[in-house]
Amino acid sequence: MTVMRKKTTAAVAVLSASALILSGCAAGAGDSDDSVLRIAMGSPGEAQIRVWDDVAAQFEDANPGVTVEMNYQDDDLYQTIGLPNLLNGRNAPDIYFEWAGARLEQRAADGFAADLTEAVTSGPIAGLFDEEVFTSLTVDGAVVMVPHAADVANVLWYNEDIFADAGLTPPTSWDELLATCDALNAEGVIPIASGNKDLWAAGNWLAHLTSRVVGEEAYSAALSGEADFNTPEWVEAFGYVKDLADHKCVNESANAVDDNEGAQLFFQGKAAMHAIGSWLVSWAIDEAPDLNFDYVNLPSMPGEGNQDSVIGVVTGYVVNAKSSKQDLAAEFLALLNSDENVQAFIGAELTPMALSASAGEDIDSRSAGLIDMLETAPAIVLPPDTGYDLETANALYAALAEVLGGQTSPEDAVAGIDQKLG
Amino acid sequence: MKPNRRVTPYLFLMPAMAVFGFAVLFPVIMTFAYSFTEWNGYGAMTFVGIDNYVRAAGDTIFRDSFTHVLIYIAATILLEVVVGLILAGLVSVKRRGSLWFRVAIFTPVMLPMVVVAVLWAFVYNNDFGLLNAALQNFGLEDLQRVWLGDTSTALLAVSVVSGWVYAGFYMTIFYAAFNQVPAEVIEAARLDGAGEWQLFRRVKVPMIRNAITVALLLCITGGFQGFDLFYVMTNGGPYGATEIPTTYLVKSVFTFGNVGYGSAMAVVLTAVVVGLGLIFTRVNREKPEGARR
Repeated sequence: MTVMRKKTTAAVAVLSASALILSGCAAGAGDSDDSVLRIAMGSPGEAQIRVWDDVAAQFEDANPGVTVEMNYQDDDLYQTIGLPNLLNGRNAPDIYFEWAGARLEQRAADGFAADLTEAVTSGPIAGLFDEEVFTSLTVDGAVVMVPHAADVANVLWYNEDIFADAGLTPPTSWDELLATCDALNAEGVIPIASGNKDLWAAGNWLAHLTSRVVGEEAYSAALSGEADFNTPEWVEAFGYVKDLADHKCVNESANAVDDNEGAQLFFQGKAAMHAIGSWLVSWAIDEAPDLNFDYVNLPSMPGEGNQDSVIGVVTGYVVNAKSSKQDLAAEFLALLNSDENVQAFIGAELTPMALSASAGEDIDSRSAGLIDMLETAPAIVLPPDTGYDLETANALYAALAEVLGGQTSPEDAVAGIDQKLG
Repeated sequence: MKPNRRVTPYLFLMPAMAVFGFAVLFPVIMTFAYSFTEWNGYGAMTFVGIDNYVRAAGDTIFRDSFTHVLIYIAATILLEVVVGLILAGLVSVKRRGSLWFRVAIFTPVMLPMVVVAVLWAFVYNNDFGLLNAALQNFGLEDLQRVWLGDTSTALLAVSVVSGWVYAGFYMTIFYAAFNQVPAEVIEAARLDGAGEWQLFRRVKVPMIRNAITVALLLCITGGFQGFDLFYVMTNGGPYGATEIPTTYLVKSVFTFGNVGYGSAMAVVLTAVVVGLGLIFTRVNREKPEGARR
């Protein structure tokens, strides 16, 4: 081989290596600073997706050259792996769904929540909301979220036909609830459907129950890590969960099926009640249009807490502080909450928090009642998984699931939470 | 002049090494580095020494997750490798329709694991599922269970699904190995009066020992990597009865944002898998060829 040929071979090798490396680098060096406005959320259901897609189309029409890219993820995926992955990945969302409370504070602390104070006071979003609503969406003096809906995280939905056939009325006290469970079991109907595989579904319901027993302050202190769970009050609260298990109030499969499968038991009339949040309205209308259903708040419990408390949380949209399109994002959120689009969301069985929503005449009576219940609640209890540290919430949920499934005693379950949290 | 080719091979290796380094080496090194930190994945990173390893050693859920995965591996050795071997023995006996049998058994291997998991979660569903409905139709109500909600059946139920998928995979490996057994050996055994069962047990299986070794190694290491079936079907439940190291560390990292602790668990898991692989290889290497009957 001549020197020239040897050099040529080496050059080819270097070039091919460089080409591969460069092509790899090119593929990895995505540019998120483009004309695409990215929006991420858990799937809101088909009816609302149609509204979102329409809002996106309106925005594209009003802003030539801008493309709106919607990312609807599975709810559980979004809440856990999905959103952190998106925020830390290439093409991070410019706008993303979030829950008020500890999660929102964490996003702000991590630098993923833009300051929207100007946008909501004098910018495009000004005047669209009651100013008071921003109190819970303010972190370190800055408004960091635009509200969209207020979710009641849990009520007791009941099938009106099954209750009428069995001659039952919705339970308003703990003893009535247990008696209703016994009566429905005798009828061969599952009293309460729950799909608790992922722990939050029954977790929110039972956490609300415990807050009614131990009191809102003790509930918040324990979930904030300021007090232990292992107290007589918490053991007593878990004792009521054991009552539910003893009276076979929930489906045997509760801890093996997810929230969707749990809801299907209610939709198909196999269960008379279902403990889940306000989002059931649009879901049930979509999947079980003939179902006659209504709700009652959690029956009053013997305990220290406010027996009319409501477990709920404000949800909304955050503009990513790392986005280069923050102004565009604020304009999109203004369009989202315009009168026309608010009415479109009401048509999709969601009642937005924008002021113009109250002018709508087509709000489902159950949705309107839930909003009213949340607005007039004497005490609001935050759901553990959105209002507090997720690891603490998970430890509480797991302990509640164990007692509900008859796996452990209230004493051991409560002691186990503190042990798990170290 | 004699050409100097010492550098050229390395230059040609560079692209592959770059990809390997970027996709494998770099993540491995970074995971090891993260395991000494407390970090949520995007905020400030704090060096905590070996605290995460101390925490892992005292974490009963993490310890139990190894017990669960070892039970799962033992079950899958039976349901995948042994069943695959038996199926391969059956299909290697040339009969009409054996091709269709092979195709039918192999088909689950081609299905995405998440699809398989969702399908089987429906099969096992207590309220709407096919299994309990079938048991009821056959008058076997006593055997009905909340298959994925009962701590005594959930792990086995997941293992059965794994067996349903991979038995066909191992059948294919063993079937190919059986076809390599010299025809004259088979013929000689037949002349000596061996029936099909004796042929299978005393001739074919001993002669595909290497393939069985590879299959066992794949099954064991693959068992430690198991994730998707568990994640979709039980998510570690009920009450942690199907929590395996991978599901637990994924929860730790992605649900709770404990990247440092999750990385430490990943390092421990890797060390265990590599250690077992080395032991397995050593034991296998030390076994003299003539030891087999």
